[in-house]
Amino acid sequence: MAVATLPHGAAAAHGDHGEVDQLYVETRALRLQGFLLFLVSDCVLFSSFIFAYLYMRNSGQGWPPAGINHLDVAFAAVNSVVLFGSGATMHYALENWKHNNFGKYAFFMIATIILGAMFLAGQAYEYTNLYFKEHVSWAGSGIFGAGFFTLTGMHGFHVTVGVIYLTVLFLQSVHGVYTKDKYFGLTAGTLYWHFVDVIWVALFSIFYLI
Amino acid sequence: MSTTAEHAGGIAGHIHPEPQGFIRRYVFSIDHKIIGIQYLITGFVFLVLAGLLAEIIRTQLLHANGGFVSNDVYNEVYSIHGSAMVWLVVIPIVTGAFGNIIMPLQIGARDVAFPWLNMLSFWIFPVAGLMLFSSFLMGAPVAGWTEYPPMSLLGGPGTSMWAAAIFLVGVSSTLTGINFVVTMFQMRAPGMTFTRMPLFCWAQLATAPLLMIATTALAAALAALFMERQFGVPFFDPTKGGSPIMWQHMFWFYSHPAVYIMVLPMFGAISEIIPTFARKPIFGYKMIAFSSMAIALAGFMVWAHHMFTSGLAPYLQLPFMILTFTIAIPTGVKFFSWVATLWGGKIHYTSSMMFALAFVALFTFGGLTGVFLAAVPFDLHVHGTYWIVGHFHYVLVGGSLTGIFASTYFWFPKFAGRMLNETLGKIHFWLFFIGVNMTFLPQHWLGSLGMPRRVPEYDPQFQTWNDVSSIGSYIMTLGILVFFVNVLVSMRNGKKAPPNPWGARTLEWQIPSPPHYYNFKHIPTVFGLPYDFSQPLPYKGLEEELTDSPVHAGAH
Repeated sequence: MAVATLPHGAAAAHGDHGEVDQLYVETRALRLQGFLLFLVSDCVLFSSFIFAYLYMRNSGQGWPPAGINHLDVAFAAVNSVVLFGSGATMHYALENWKHNNFGKYAFFMIATIILGAMFLAGQAYEYTNLYFKEHVSWAGSGIFGAGFFTLTGMHGFHVTVGVIYLTVLFLQSVHGVYTKDKYFGLTAGTLYWHFVDVIWVALFSIFYLI
Repeated sequence: MSTTAEHAGGIAGHIHPEPQGFIRRYVFSIDHKIIGIQYLITGFVFLVLAGLLAEIIRTQLLHANGGFVSNDVYNEVYSIHGSAMVWLVVIPIVTGAFGNIIMPLQIGARDVAFPWLNMLSFWIFPVAGLMLFSSFLMGAPVAGWTEYPPMSLLGGPGTSMWAAAIFLVGVSSTLTGINFVVTMFQMRAPGMTFTRMPLFCWAQLATAPLLMIATTALAAALAALFMERQFGVPFFDPTKGGSPIMWQHMFWFYSHPAVYIMVLPMFGAISEIIPTFARKPIFGYKMIAFSSMAIALAGFMVWAHHMFTSGLAPYLQLPFMILTFTIAIPTGVKFFSWVATLWGGKIHYTSSMMFALAFVALFTFGGLTGVFLAAVPFDLHVHGTYWIVGHFHYVLVGGSLTGIFASTYFWFPKFAGRMLNETLGKIHFWLFFIGVNMTFLPQHWLGSLGMPRRVPEYDPQFQTWNDVSSIGSYIMTLGILVFFVNVLVSMRNGKKAPPNPWGARTLEWQIPSPPHYYNFKHIPTVFGLPYDFSQPLPYKGLEEELTDSPVHAGAH
């Protein structure tokens, strides 16, 4: 893990080429750990709002609050499947990149971006429905509106960032920024995308299932 | 030589050329030492500003009827004083300044893991500081540094600015935390196992996860407060279904660990200073290291002891009380270890050591009153009184700020290349030490008698001790002025610092003062703990550090 434990002489044996690779291996370890810690702190941000929402829900005013109809669980479930499906395509995109299969990589990467955009469209449809038909709003519907729109909005923001991020990564890979051996950007993008998926599991559970 | 050559291809052998030009060198620098100094200077500037606010408070309280500033202004003053001292002075100095300057040197690294991120972390901080102080222009927050709703929902427009500013400082802290964890996990010199790491680094390692995790929880609370104030989203307003108690949970879930963010790094610094000036190996190295981790972990489980009077369910009070008591155990381990290190040592009474000894005494006092406060029956009696003010100023001024002075006297020769004046240091010490006790000790008595905190006027029976406290605060301020004079004079005219003026044994003292841009010509190999004063140094590969030989290890 630490610099100290790298195999002795591995770099020296391969001359210049080996030196660059060792530098890559070490900086990749740094960047991976840093990115994972960033995701941990992002997870704490979501957890705090989830705690706040559940705390308010249980602070004794009765649940569900009067005047709030139930959410459209079926639609949200289909939308969730779209998002989880994009997690699967993202996984295959990275696997194909590792196996030097650019055609399949491109297919799965574009599929991921499209599925992510579809999820956002679904969320926009759901927000519009809630606002115009059910008259549920961010500021005007008590703790339900505050919790629901803040948390799903934060998640939607993450998905939006993710779609842009994956698009940039895809364009970079088309322009040859990444190679078969050096593709940390794609790894980070995959981790981010799976993270966004996992957060949605929690949000779907607390808003639609319990 | 052979020990370092094998790493020539990796980060350890990778030396960037030093940037030329003023801007890239001293303003938007990516060098951890320069960034640390930037943190230190900015932190001290905010210390002056927040200190002036403190003197407005103490001057107002010279008379039972106040009269120095209006009551509204008084509310703004103590709110910004507390916020600035916590988020703009103590946290940035103990983590951003000393963590940045010293930690990479002590682990034998060339820089932190992410130098550009480090630069970003720093530059967020002065911007956020200016935002915080600019809230005075638009009606500053009036609900104290804790900003409890519903008061904070009613405060002036500056309260939203306050929330945004603290949010930004939080982002800066989070990035610093991530940076430090990765640096210490991945970039230690060969042979420096975790159990050979200097205790200052252990303290930073315990603090960094707090910066990373607890600060994010505060960010959520601040974002919610901002959304409620600006867009009317009902989080905290009870009339719309929100809960003001929830703010207290979210705020203290951060702010109790923040107490340890503010003091753990200084525990680490004291653990370096005491063995150096007692000329003795530190007593209980592993116990001090692990107790930092224990304090950091336990710090997450005690937040509700700030809320005993907020309507917390009685069955929750007992576990929070007991958990809070248990934090005294790892803290006690540290204190007894320091005392045992001093025992039988050959103590050198330098300014740095005097401040370190004062730290031990004053923090013990503040820590003991903390154990008192953890007891629910006692807390119910003194909650919201000057007793609390006395308690947390003993840990923050007597602890963190005293630790900051001890660290500055200790490490100033290393990063500035000049010695601080010892005579001025002693004058600073005695004025500060007498001032601190005179200011904050009487506040315990005022609190026991029932004087509430955050009041601009008070019952005449409290006049005498308030006057003692105010005069003490002037003496303390005078001491700090002597310190600034010392720093400014010594920067230009101080004696040139040798590489190792104190005879200390950690890695940063084995290289020139101030260190080169690349820190080490060759990354050394470490064979043992840095505290065995009777033994030869446990490092190999440092032979060329103090010579004029050019740097060549894989430079490009």
